[in-house]
Amino acid sequence: MLTPLERVLFLALAAGCLAYAAVGFRQVFAAIRRGHGGFPRDRWPQRLARTAVQVLAHQTLWRTRRPVAVFHAFILFAFTDYFLVNVADLVEGFTGFSAAHRGGVWGIYNLVADVLSVLALVGMTYFLVRRFVFRPKSFRFNPQVMLLPGVEAGIRRDSLVVGGFILFHVGSRWLGQAFKLAAEGPDPWQPLASAVSTLFVGMPEQALEVGVHATWWVALGLILLFLPYFPRSKHIHLFFAPLNLALGLPQPPGRLEADGKGAARLEELPWRRILDAYACIMCNRCQDVCPAHQTGRSLSPAALEINKRYYLNRHLREFSRGAPSPPLWEYAISVDAVWACTTCSACVHVCPVGNAPMLDIVEIRKRLLEEGVVPDTNLQEVLVKLGKYGNSFGKPERQRGQWTKGLPFRVKDARRETVDVLWFVGDYASFDPRVQEVTRTVARLLHHAGVDFGILYEGERNSGNDARRVGEAGLFEVLAEHNIRLLDQATYRVILTTDPHSLNALRNEYQALGRRYPVVHYTEFLLQLLEEGRLKVVQPVGRRVTYHDPCYLARYNRVTEAPRGLLRRVGAELVEMPRNRENTFCCGAGGGRIWMREEPGERPSESRIREAATLGVDTFVVACPKDYTMYTDAVKTAGYEGRMVVCDVAELVAQAVGVRAEVLAQV
Amino acid sequence: MDVVVCCKLVPDLVEELEVNEAGTDLDWAAVRWVLNEFDDHALEEAFLLKESTGARVTVLVPEADGAEEVLYTALAKGADRAIRLTGLPPGAGSRALAAAFSQVLPSVGYDVILTGVQAVDDVDGQVGGLLSGMLGLPYVGVVTGVEVDWQARRAVVRKEYAGGVVEELEVDLPAVLGVQSARKPPRYAPVSRVRQLMREGKAEALPAELPAVPRAAVRRVFRPQTDRRAQILQGPAEQAAAQLVAILEERGLLRR
Amino acid sequence: MAEVMVFAERQGDSLAEVTYELLAAGRQLSEALGCELSALLVGPGAGGLASGLGSADVVVCAEDPQLAHFTPDGTLQVLEAAVQERSPRLVLLPSTSQGLDLAAPLAARTGLPLVAYCRELWAEDGVVVARSQVYGGKLMVEVALPERGIACLLPGSVSAEAGRAPGTPRVEFLSVPAVSARARFRQRFEPEAGDVDITREDILVAVGRGIGDRENLSLVEELAEALGGAVCASRPLVDSGWLPKNRQVGKSGLVVKPKLYLAVGISGAPEHLEGMKDSELIVAVNTDARAPIFDVAHYGVVADLFDFLPALTEAVRQRKG
Repeated sequence: MLTPLERVLFLALAAGCLAYAAVGFRQVFAAIRRGHGGFPRDRWPQRLARTAVQVLAHQTLWRTRRPVAVFHAFILFAFTDYFLVNVADLVEGFTGFSAAHRGGVWGIYNLVADVLSVLALVGMTYFLVRRFVFRPKSFRFNPQVMLLPGVEAGIRRDSLVVGGFILFHVGSRWLGQAFKLAAEGPDPWQPLASAVSTLFVGMPEQALEVGVHATWWVALGLILLFLPYFPRSKHIHLFFAPLNLALGLPQPPGRLEADGKGAARLEELPWRRILDAYACIMCNRCQDVCPAHQTGRSLSPAALEINKRYYLNRHLREFSRGAPSPPLWEYAISVDAVWACTTCSACVHVCPVGNAPMLDIVEIRKRLLEEGVVPDTNLQEVLVKLGKYGNSFGKPERQRGQWTKGLPFRVKDARRETVDVLWFVGDYASFDPRVQEVTRTVARLLHHAGVDFGILYEGERNSGNDARRVGEAGLFEVLAEHNIRLLDQATYRVILTTDPHSLNALRNEYQALGRRYPVVHYTEFLLQLLEEGRLKVVQPVGRRVTYHDPCYLARYNRVTEAPRGLLRRVGAELVEMPRNRENTFCCGAGGGRIWMREEPGERPSESRIREAATLGVDTFVVACPKDYTMYTDAVKTAGYEGRMVVCDVAELVAQAVGVRAEVLAQV
Repeated sequence: MDVVVCCKLVPDLVEELEVNEAGTDLDWAAVRWVLNEFDDHALEEAFLLKESTGARVTVLVPEADGAEEVLYTALAKGADRAIRLTGLPPGAGSRALAAAFSQVLPSVGYDVILTGVQAVDDVDGQVGGLLSGMLGLPYVGVVTGVEVDWQARRAVVRKEYAGGVVEELEVDLPAVLGVQSARKPPRYAPVSRVRQLMREGKAEALPAELPAVPRAAVRRVFRPQTDRRAQILQGPAEQAAAQLVAILEERGLLRR
Repeated sequence: MAEVMVFAERQGDSLAEVTYELLAAGRQLSEALGCELSALLVGPGAGGLASGLGSADVVVCAEDPQLAHFTPDGTLQVLEAAVQERSPRLVLLPSTSQGLDLAAPLAARTGLPLVAYCRELWAEDGVVVARSQVYGGKLMVEVALPERGIACLLPGSVSAEAGRAPGTPRVEFLSVPAVSARARFRQRFEPEAGDVDITREDILVAVGRGIGDRENLSLVEELAEALGGAVCASRPLVDSGWLPKNRQVGKSGLVVKPKLYLAVGISGAPEHLEGMKDSELIVAVNTDARAPIFDVAHYGVVADLFDFLPALTEAVRQRKG
């Protein structure tokens, strides 16, 4: 269909654009390869299959902003189809072969292309209107979030370019069909294009011909012109997002990378983290679920990835050739923001393209600690206490078992006696006076059920989970080595804990030191006891409650149904929090934040209590020692004292099975 | 430009302190040893001097349970030499320790000696003051900031008095300074670096002879009798508050 | 004849309060030992101040002009010379910033045993016995000085009354070689005069580490306002910058004796107690029933201050109408 001149021009344009694009893409690959780490060679067939399903079913997009996912599906399917379409159009340009007016397979091809073209136009229009007319709050950053200059304008410009490209590329191609059909008559397999073609019927043949050529050039020319634009645009996620998803995240999710010296600069990060910058679609979902950002802090995981990307955009040539880049805390994320992270992993969980900004932050923390930059003296004091006493409270080790003194029975010493269940208690459950009461309640429940259990008494140390997340890999090792030594000497069947952080460390992190421990959360264990009849409900609780999923339990370790099963069994009526299960909203204690000085402004835990108050319940159920302390405080400071009470799930179980609990929370 | 920091380990007050059977001393077996917190500040001042003037920092610590940790943490924070003094039993006392320091310091070499102004167990005399007397050096204690002009062989120090008064003094070197608090909080040494240095084994050992020193005779060590204990106002917050208000009113303290 | 020698600490042109406490202790000891009590006064104008030391038998003056300002090294030289010349049975020094610069160096230079942190001093059959607090006040130690020695007395341990007794002591001038002070005074920094002088307030609400976060100070401020008093603090809060230095109560801060001292979230470390234990009415609020503050308080409330403070503030407001 193209004239010889057109063919030559097209080939020349193609050659030029492809060459230019190749340079850019090569630089992008070189940039990514500067990061360290190997490339996995295993299970690629499974990875590709799983990713194909993930992408086509929009599984990662479906987690939040569902309407957006629908419109994105329009565009994604259109574009997937357009691979074929563009090739066919190219062939048509060079050979004249046209798929129009054919039936059978071609008919279906035409119908799909027709419908998807319109859906793509609708989708893209929706996105542009959403961003530029409705201006959702999600696209704005907190005032103190560090941003490279020109980023916000850049994102708007990029959105316009991509939006324009899609509208014009798809629109032009589809219009082209309309022009063709105006000349050749309608095609029953292209109903929408045929409908529009009626507008053009009656135009001189010449004009229609021009229309066909012009739209062909616009459609395919834009593709060519867009190719070299990819390295600078978030639209490159077309390639890198599926790749990122296929490569996957560390398994299990609770496990951090092997410890090195951390990273100060982009090139010192693992290459996967540089790839993150190219997969990022700058949608800010991560920011929306970040407890720090949502309470006004300077941390935005989105800004981190975006800043990385913009730095790369602006310095790609030098960077790809090995030039050193400035420390990340100078342009990508402020030191204040680095320490504001609670390592709740919500950003990782929600990201549609498989990014993990939290992992960058932990790497940076390692380097900051290395250089002695500790954000506040509180944290430093706690790290020293952990090193000296093995707990964050600064209490001597021999006080660890003191909580047992309030019990009418002796708790076995798992260091000397064989036990069925080794209970790893954890710092807060052992030392915090409020949580000690819950710990005693759990002990009474276990005793009542005839469980053969014991604790490590002075032998137990902090599991090291949060020390590692603060960036103190050395301290984690010291603590873990000690715990491992003791666990290796003990005889037990399973390890029990009420603390999700300890659970995470023992189950996942200690694998880095060669140990896979069988660990169960007390909610799982108590549920099992009820199911086996070793505990029996004598008095259903009969209260309307809500339940807060702990981050390290629900998101990191996927334990969500056991606590709910427990609540059901004891006769509590559960009203779900709007953000529940893996979408739970962090209390703000993780990542060492509970060890740092409080900052002014709303706390994540207060925000969560307010969320609960809207449900019309007066009982906030928790299953984690730190949650217990955070929310008990938050109820007071948020002004809900007397209207909302915080209760550990064990207390409800104790009430239901008739075991005397220390303190039954009453409104 | 040699800055020497003389440190010691003291019983950790977090633990319950047990008195021995005879009631004449601490039960040393039950003691957990920690670095004297004022010595930690002296170390920090030394590192600040190193950063600002390039001085060399040497740390001396008498042998005790936990001395290794202190030595290697000091090395991790930037000390150039860390020396363990051997031959001194726990409970030897501050005066004996100061005498032991004065024995070895000439061979170590010093221009400025820093130490914590006091410790929880120096009832027989503060190490810094005693050391200065033994070496014949000038001494200034309760120091909260040190600056050194090596050329002029002079230090300028800030000395703290009660009520927040601070005086600036000029001291000829060599001198001994008793540090109350450093200009910045003691820095942090990442555990991995400390462990790395431990593996390299850079700390040295120097023997010291336990010297005979004048001592007051200890008659007994005991827990203080607290005959006056507060009358506790019972009940929940509102009830206790009401009781307290009644007491205050009775005493005429609630006048407008 | 062996004497008990007191180092008289000066505060500019007058005598420090602790000097009278030393004299009181020294007077009692010298009578029990059957010897004289001397006071060493250093610096220009010493002769003029001597009349204020009436409870001493003799005032030894060293008026070297170089000692116009207290300098550790210079004063030590004079003190050492005085001790060498007069061979006192016991040298009494205050456990203050000045005293700490003198006692230990003096002990080393004279070879005399030293007892620091004394709370009580007495004589038994010619033996001086001291009772000192150690290990942060957790333990007490009783030591004997059968022969010559040096003792450092903690301020506030002994009543100053006996030390203020009027009298006409002999004045002697010490012949000392000129002092070559290796430490010299440069300048003095007074703490910023704040809006409030807590030493003059009748009612003080004192806050310590137990308050938790800085923002919780508002609870304390509200209570202070309701009571018509002022807020003061223990050292850690001032060090953290939450309150200015002129609000610090304790050994390195200010000594206060108000009609009411309400200690909130303060554990009662010895350094803090030194600054307030003579208050007329001490009420302590702490979650730890075993906190040492309850040993000096008259009344105590074992409660979470976040519950108690608002309740008290409310109760006070209601009662005041």
